[in-house]
Amino acid sequence: MARARTVLPDPSYEELFTRARNRLPGSQLPELAELRRQAWRRVCEIGLPTSRVEEWKYTSILGRVQKALPLLEATAPPLEQLKAAFAGGVEARRLIFVNGRLVPELSHTGGLPDGMAITSLERLAARQPERLAALTRPAEEEGSAFAWLNAAFWTSGAVVELAAGVRPQAPLQLLFFQDAREQAGMTHPRLVVRLGPGARLHLIESHLGEGEAGQWVNLVGAVELGEGAELVHEVMQAPPQSATLLARSRIQLAAGARLVRNIASLGGGLVRNETEVHLCGSGAEALLNGLYMPMEREHVDQFVRVHHEQPGCHSDQFFKGIVGGKARAVFAGRIMVYRDAQKTNAYQANNNLLLSDEAEVDTKPELEIFADDVKCSHGATVGALDPSALFYLRARGLPQAVAESLLTYAFAGEVLERVVDPHLRGQMARRVLDRVPGGGALEAEGLV
Amino acid sequence: MSSAIETVREVTGGEYKWGFTTPVEEETAPPGLNEDIIRMISKKKGEPDWLTAWRLEAYRRWQAMEEPKWAKVHYPPIDFQAISYFAAPKQKERPKSLDDIDPEIRRTYEKLGIPIREQEILAGVAVDYVFDSVSVATTFKQKLEELGIIFCSISEAVRDHPELVRKYLGTVVPPGDNFYAALNSAVFTDGSFVYVPKGVRCPMELSTYFRINAAGTGQFERTLIIADEGSYVSYLEGCTAPMRDENQLHAAVVELIALDEAEIKYSTVQNWYPGDKDGKGGIYNFVTKRGLCKGRRSKISWTQVETGSAITWKYPSCILQGEESVGEFYSVAVTNNHQQADTGTKMVHIGKRTRSRIVSKGIAAGRSNNTYRGLVKIMRGAEGARNYTQCDSLLIGDRCGAHTVPYIEVRNRSAVAEHEATTSKISDDQLFYCRSRGISEEDAVALIVNGFCREVMDELPMEFAVEARKLLGISLEGSVG
Amino acid sequence: MALLEIEDLRARVEGKEILKGVSLSLEAGEVHAIMGPNGSGKSTLAYVLAGRDGYEVTGGAVRFLGEDLLAMEPEERAAAGLFLAMQYPVEIPGVSNMYFLRQALNALRKARGEEEVKPGEFLKQVRAAAELLGMPQELLKRDINVGFSGGEKKRNEILQLAVLEPRLAVLDETDSGLDIDALKTVAQGVNRLRGGERAFLIITHYQRLLNHIVPDRVHVMVDGRILRSGGKELALELEERGYEGFAGKAA
Repeated sequence: MARARTVLPDPSYEELFTRARNRLPGSQLPELAELRRQAWRRVCEIGLPTSRVEEWKYTSILGRVQKALPLLEATAPPLEQLKAAFAGGVEARRLIFVNGRLVPELSHTGGLPDGMAITSLERLAARQPERLAALTRPAEEEGSAFAWLNAAFWTSGAVVELAAGVRPQAPLQLLFFQDAREQAGMTHPRLVVRLGPGARLHLIESHLGEGEAGQWVNLVGAVELGEGAELVHEVMQAPPQSATLLARSRIQLAAGARLVRNIASLGGGLVRNETEVHLCGSGAEALLNGLYMPMEREHVDQFVRVHHEQPGCHSDQFFKGIVGGKARAVFAGRIMVYRDAQKTNAYQANNNLLLSDEAEVDTKPELEIFADDVKCSHGATVGALDPSALFYLRARGLPQAVAESLLTYAFAGEVLERVVDPHLRGQMARRVLDRVPGGGALEAEGLV
Repeated sequence: MSSAIETVREVTGGEYKWGFTTPVEEETAPPGLNEDIIRMISKKKGEPDWLTAWRLEAYRRWQAMEEPKWAKVHYPPIDFQAISYFAAPKQKERPKSLDDIDPEIRRTYEKLGIPIREQEILAGVAVDYVFDSVSVATTFKQKLEELGIIFCSISEAVRDHPELVRKYLGTVVPPGDNFYAALNSAVFTDGSFVYVPKGVRCPMELSTYFRINAAGTGQFERTLIIADEGSYVSYLEGCTAPMRDENQLHAAVVELIALDEAEIKYSTVQNWYPGDKDGKGGIYNFVTKRGLCKGRRSKISWTQVETGSAITWKYPSCILQGEESVGEFYSVAVTNNHQQADTGTKMVHIGKRTRSRIVSKGIAAGRSNNTYRGLVKIMRGAEGARNYTQCDSLLIGDRCGAHTVPYIEVRNRSAVAEHEATTSKISDDQLFYCRSRGISEEDAVALIVNGFCREVMDELPMEFAVEARKLLGISLEGSVG
Repeated sequence: MALLEIEDLRARVEGKEILKGVSLSLEAGEVHAIMGPNGSGKSTLAYVLAGRDGYEVTGGAVRFLGEDLLAMEPEERAAAGLFLAMQYPVEIPGVSNMYFLRQALNALRKARGEEEVKPGEFLKQVRAAAELLGMPQELLKRDINVGFSGGEKKRNEILQLAVLEPRLAVLDETDSGLDIDALKTVAQGVNRLRGGERAFLIITHYQRLLNHIVPDRVHVMVDGRILRSGGKELALELEERGYEGFAGKAA
């Protein structure tokens, strides 16, 4: 008897869907209502993953998501906390989502350059409903139940569009605040980012929040870069420990497009990032940098797939993890080189540091190669701090504990220094220091 | 001294040269698997009741299991009821001396280049000859017995050394370990048994040569090697099969046990029939090999050169239980035409300061797929454990695939695991360089591939390194140009 | 019959015409030098002669010992007695120098219908050649060119030359990247291999190598053509005036 690899969603989802579907955005539009129904059917077909599904081998999410939770509503968030998370400088435009719902009154999207548009999905539902189905439909081959769940249940989201050659100076920040002080529930926000040929955007995404009520965020992003377009996407994830954050991005690059993605996971009870990069045009380039630092009982899973579909593309993955307490970190990165993708250069590095005897790292760096004229390599390490570096610092007079803290911070620093926006980098550094044992002392002694 | 490459050309003309059949009368069980067949096999071999019961228990477990599907290999469903689980050359009893062996069988092994003789080219190697389901001969038994080393077929071991077999059989690979191991436990027919007593260094290579001959059968051999405290043994297995249009199943289980400070070196040159160039026929090679480093400072080293089989599914592993024990895996896997290989290792670090090293070289040509799949698991108590893994893939042509799927699980902060992998092709520069020195393109490929694999080839016992090197060249013939 | 006869040779690399009509004739036993600035087509000529893929001959002919050289595969050219000492010798990990050399030598002998070399004889031959070039024995056991310094790689090329005993050796910028001592050693080696029937075609950017290996004739190549040919004094003239002045005058 085959043991089940996936399970049907609990009937509570079906109940919720029946109850809510007439109130969800765009429900007046038959095409969209049908899409939501289809999506819901796909969720049931695929089922929710147990750890017997290879992609979920090291992350069990079922306990957190098997039963439907109420759809979250926006609240009045603590403004000071919001402000503290602002990044991108004074010129930055900002979309603020509270509990997964876009709050226009808190957002700032005025004075955009010609050819740049930011629209909420809710607003589109009212004004251009005919566009909604196209913007919210997952790719037909999409195999993730969560992507379809999002398509069935989304309540809020944003569409960012840049016409050809539009290159706004100021970054755009997407700020997700989970107000879990009272509300438990789930939310399925959706982002669509489209850059025309030669356009350029600096996108900052921050996740934070407060409170003990269990919240689950199922964020789905669809990003398309036209020929020669350039996107710098920087993400800091620091939701409260009560939260589960599942962030799935599908990023398509046309010829000559360039993606830089810097992501730091520095909080949250369970965080899983699924990043699928499709290099669909020759000469496209993707640089993916990541830092994760789960502590206590946190769990972080970085799931990355880079699809080299066309010749002459370049990709580089650089992920570092520091794991303490009873935490667990998972890295599963795969480079896929398709038959036609000759002259591919693809690299992947994953280095991990274990800080405690109860922490665990599971890493699975994969290569799947179907073209012969390629240069692909990967390396993964798991270990403790370099003893010779430790000795060196101690020989220069630093106490052992300080030397350890310093080296741990430096280990993370290799990723932090690649972060472009100084504000965001500062916020990340702050959180990294909070997580490095003895980080406070480092700061007090002016060592960092 | 003739060069390896030249020899290859002369001998083979590029075809699978071991593909003949032997016209020997065989006794074959009817196709199908049920408790009666298992009882029949057990009875035929004169086994004690405990072993019959053990087989039946394995069979019951197998019935409740499903075929593993996670490997990157594709094949039509296997009809396990269409296979005959026992085939043996007809003979009244096992020949008393090497001279009494059926001349046809004798000729077979001569053609395969491993004559049943205790002399000449194999003077330093003792060989157990397994023909379909039974062992037909074992050389140098006498000489080994003088040192207290037991080297015989596992059937003989069951009869003559039941206490050893009963103590260790299934302790490393339990009958319910996986689908194919369960099947093997139910129906295994023959295989080799080795016991090296305390403090003895086995003075010669021990080797088993497996030959599938009969049609419509599978081969399910079982090998058990025990190295007692402070002993050393080097063991090698080789295998070939006739060319047939049908796929034949080979599902072996190998168990190694190394006690305190013992060392086992296990080498395989796997050359089962790979099928023709269109992917027709060939052996399905689903093998479970596992070694237990039970004692402190024990060492188990696997070396494999995999060139044959239509499908290879094989992960020779080490359970590093003893403190400071060492596990090694050196592998060359070559796939050409429509072959599929999913092979690698598992290194499970349990004891303190255990060390493991993995060197894997995958070469894919034609329309083949070649996957390295490996697990390095460092348990909570494995303080100071170390692993180093190097996986390199070489692609020849643009219709093949090379894949690397490592799993690294670490639960001890003082442990270090390092994994590196590269994928590349034979560079045009290298090819041109060789050719401009007068070496033909095909020979240049063989030369460069041999260079790519050398770290692994160097681990093979001398007697077989030359053979293995030739095999690499043959396997890749027709892959360039 | 000339050993090598190049007639109006034209060749393209990646669609770009590099050789625009090169003619050259070389007799057995002669040493010719081809000098020219970077990009003049010197190395292209060397690769075209050796038969490298990607070098497309678009016109002209090359006869080697009366045979159509351009119709041969690279290994056939080697068997016919052509040797190219490369500017950037290639590394082949895992294959020892000695093993490689024996494979190559036996391949050549076999192609010529000769017996394979006896191991003892081969060893003697290689050791003698290594001594001649002041090459440490240890380099023979190492993988081909792996971890060799620039000088060691070049010496290794000359070692192969010495063992494979070609009729014509083309030396492609063998002097580049060598310090003066290494240059002298390499030149000494080449000089000892001179004489008799063996001919050399030495491709170089600088005149300094020609102080040590004195050529019978010097050809100046600019922009895919041989602009001028002359005796060894032409090299000195070139050194003095530089390619630019030279090319200007010719134009």
